[in-house]
Amino acid sequence: MSTETKETGGFEPKVIAFVCNWCTYLGADLAGTNRLEYPANIRIVRLPCTGRIDFNLLVKAFEAGADAVLVSGCHPGDCHYTAGNFHARRRWILFRELLDTLGIDTNRVHFSWISAAEGAKFQQFVTEIVEKTRKLGPYTGYREIVNN
Amino acid sequence: MSQIITREQLKSLISELVKADTLVAAPVATEKGTCFFQYVNESARVVLDAGTSVANSIKEFFFPRHEEICRFVRQANDVVVTDAPVFDKRQVIFGVRPCEASSLPVLDPLFAWDYQDRFYQSRRANTTVVSFACTHTDPHCFCSDMGGSPDNASGSDALLFDLGDGSFEVRTFSDKGKALFEGRTSSSDRTGKACEAPAKTLDLDAIRHWIDAHFNDPMWDEETYRCVGCGACTYSCPTCHCFDIVDEGSFAKGKRVKNWDSCQSALFTLHASGHNPRGTQGQRQRQRISHKFSIYPAKFKVFLCTGCGNCTRVCSTSLGVKPMLDKIADKTKQK
Amino acid sequence: MRETAGKLLAEGTVDVVIGYGRLETGAVGAVFVTKVADVDKLVWNDECHQDLVVYLTRKETKKLGRPAVVVKGCDARAAVVLANESQISLSDVYLIGMVCPGMKNTKAANDASGNLPLYDRCLTCQDRVPRHVNAVIGDEAKTNLLSPEEAATKGNFARLAKLRAMSPQERLDWWSHEFSRCVKCYACRQNCPLCYCNQCVADKNRPVRIDTSSTLKGNFAWNILRAFHLAGRCVGCGACANACPAGIDLDLLNLTLAMTAEKEFGHVSGREVGTAPLIGSFSEQDKEDFIR
Repeated sequence: MSTETKETGGFEPKVIAFVCNWCTYLGADLAGTNRLEYPANIRIVRLPCTGRIDFNLLVKAFEAGADAVLVSGCHPGDCHYTAGNFHARRRWILFRELLDTLGIDTNRVHFSWISAAEGAKFQQFVTEIVEKTRKLGPYTGYREIVNN
Repeated sequence: MSQIITREQLKSLISELVKADTLVAAPVATEKGTCFFQYVNESARVVLDAGTSVANSIKEFFFPRHEEICRFVRQANDVVVTDAPVFDKRQVIFGVRPCEASSLPVLDPLFAWDYQDRFYQSRRANTTVVSFACTHTDPHCFCSDMGGSPDNASGSDALLFDLGDGSFEVRTFSDKGKALFEGRTSSSDRTGKACEAPAKTLDLDAIRHWIDAHFNDPMWDEETYRCVGCGACTYSCPTCHCFDIVDEGSFAKGKRVKNWDSCQSALFTLHASGHNPRGTQGQRQRQRISHKFSIYPAKFKVFLCTGCGNCTRVCSTSLGVKPMLDKIADKTKQK
Repeated sequence: MRETAGKLLAEGTVDVVIGYGRLETGAVGAVFVTKVADVDKLVWNDECHQDLVVYLTRKETKKLGRPAVVVKGCDARAAVVLANESQISLSDVYLIGMVCPGMKNTKAANDASGNLPLYDRCLTCQDRVPRHVNAVIGDEAKTNLLSPEEAATKGNFARLAKLRAMSPQERLDWWSHEFSRCVKCYACRQNCPLCYCNQCVADKNRPVRIDTSSTLKGNFAWNILRAFHLAGRCVGCGACANACPAGIDLDLLNLTLAMTAEKEFGHVSGREVGTAPLIGSFSEQDKEDFIR
C-alpha cells in the first residue's frame, strides 16, 4: 500500500480501525444509516471483541502502510463477552509504553469506547483522528525502516 | 622484500572502494564495544586491528541470512515469476580471521555439488577476502586441530600481518588480492609474524570412528543437558549452512526467500505427522557434531569446521564444538 | 550449598541438583549433579549469571527426575512466575536460594580498578536475597543493596531513561540499528526461563504470524512479540540479552514493561506466590486516560 493522493495533490491519511463487532462496528453502522458523513480515509477491520485484538495487528497495520491506527470497542461494563474490553485496556496500557520505547509514534495510535448507539461519536472521533493524522503527515518512519 | 601498507592507507582504500560502488564489509564496534562484521559506507567506524575479536561470521556475505530467490505476481489468471537477479557487485571484506576465511574452501564443494548455487557462487567470485594474521589466541581457538594456523592463507586473497606500529605487511595469494593492493604498498625489509598456534590436542580420526560407532550412545544426551537449543552456535558458525525456504507476501504478490535455519531447533526435523526423528537436544547435538566430523568429510573429504571457536564464545552455557570433541576424545581414550 | 545439595541427594528428596559448576571451557554454567559424590562440582561465585530455572520446563532435563535448582533472587522470581502460571508446582522442586552479590559481566571490559563490572541489571537489583525458596544460603547482611530511589537512576534504568529522552524517530533509528544485527536465532527465547510454549507463535506457519526472515521487518515483529509476551512476567534476569549473539539490549524492552507494570498496577512479577498473571487479569479501576 502506498499513501494515496487525491487528484488535487494533498496527502490523504490511511487510518486502520480495528473495531469490535458488538459496539463500535454497530456505531459505525448507525453513523451510516443516519447519513452522518465521516472521512473515507478510515478502513474498518471488524473483530469479535477488543479483547481479541492482537497487538501484532497494530504492528502489521503500520508495516502495511497505515498512517494511524484506531482500536475501538464497547464501553467498560458493556462487553458482549463480559470482560474482553477490560483485558484489552490493560494490554494497551502496557503496549503503548513498549511502542514508545521503540520509537513508534504513539500519537498515531488511538483508542476509544464507542457503543452501538454512538453513531455521532464515531463520526466525530474518526474525523478528529483523520484531521490530526493529516497534520502529522504520512507515517513513513516505521514503514520505511521495515520495508527496505 | 616485503610490501607494507599503513592503517590510514587501508582506511582510504576503504573510502575509495565505497565511492567506486564496491560493497565493503569490515568489523564495526557497537556502543558497548563488541565488534560485528557489517557493510560500511565510510571508513571512520571501521576497526582495523588484528587483535579484534569479531562476534559474527563472514558467511553472511556469501550466504546471506536472508536471500530472495524469486518474486511472484498474480496477473489476471496467471502468475508471473521473476528470478532474483544474480549478485553482480564487487565486494571486499576486511579484517577476517584466517579460520573464518578458511571456511570458504570448505563450503565451495557443497554449493557446487548436485546443484550449482549461483547465489553463493556469484558472491564468492566477486568477493575479495582480506584477512589479518592472528596476534593472539583465546582458550576457544583450536585451528591447529583443524589443519589451520594463525597465519593460514586458505580462503584469503590477501593476508595482513600487524607490525605493531600502525602498519601491516601485505601478502597476496590471488589475482583479486594482488589487484586490490596494486600500487598501494611500499617496499620494506620488515616482515610480520603471527602469534603462536594453539596447541594441537585432538585425534580427529579416532573421534570420527567413535562418532560412527556410537549413534545411540547415552553420552549424547548426558553431556548436552545444559544445551538450551538456541542455535546461536549454528548462526555464528562460518561453516554451518542450513537454510529454510519460505514464501512471504500475499495471495496477490510475494517473494520466495531462503533464510538461515538451525539443526539445534526442535522444529528443524519435526514431521507433519508430529513425529520428530531428532526429538531431544542430545540427538540434535549429535547431528551437528556428526555432520561436521563424519558426514561432511565422508562426502567432501574435508571437515565442516575450521576451529574458529565462535560456537563456544557465543554459547550461553559454554558448549559448542570443542567441548563436545573433548568429551568424545575422553571416550575414545577410555576404550 | 554443597552440603545442602548432598543432603538432598542422599536423603532422596531430589534426583538431580541443577547448579553452577566450572565447565571444561573455564566458564561457569549449568551442571547436573545426580550423585552425592559429585556435589564438589558445584560452585558459587560472581560468574553464576545463567538463569537455571530455564531447565525446569525442558523436556530433556525433566527426565532426570525431581529437581533441586540453585537460584539467585531473580531466578527465584522466575520460578514463582512459572508456579503462578501452573507450569511447575513449587512443592515438586527444591529451590536452593543463594544470597547474591551481583554477577560480573564477563563479556565487558575491565573497569578503572581493573575488575570486571557488575551486569547493569545486577547493579540495581532489589532481589539479592531470594524469596519463596526452600533454603537461603549466604549472609543476608552483605548484599549491598541500592535503595530503590538510587537504583532507579543507575544501570539499565539510566540507559532506558537516556533512550526515552530521545525523539521517537531517534529511538526508532537506534532500535533499527540494533535489530539490524539480529539473526533470528531465537537464543533470547530459548534462554528465557519464561518462554516455555511448546510451539512459539514465531514458529507457526499456517498462517505466518511473524516473518521468519531476519530483515528489519521480521526482526522488529519478532522483538516486539517477544518483549510483549513477557509483559508483566519478565523478572529481569537478563538471560535474553546475555545470550544474544548480536549483543542487542533486549532487556531494555522488558524493563519498559516491568516499570509500567509496577507503576500502573503495582505488579512486580514473581514477588508473590499465587498472584494472577497481569495480562490474564484486570481491574475495573485500570486507568483509561488515553482512551476516548
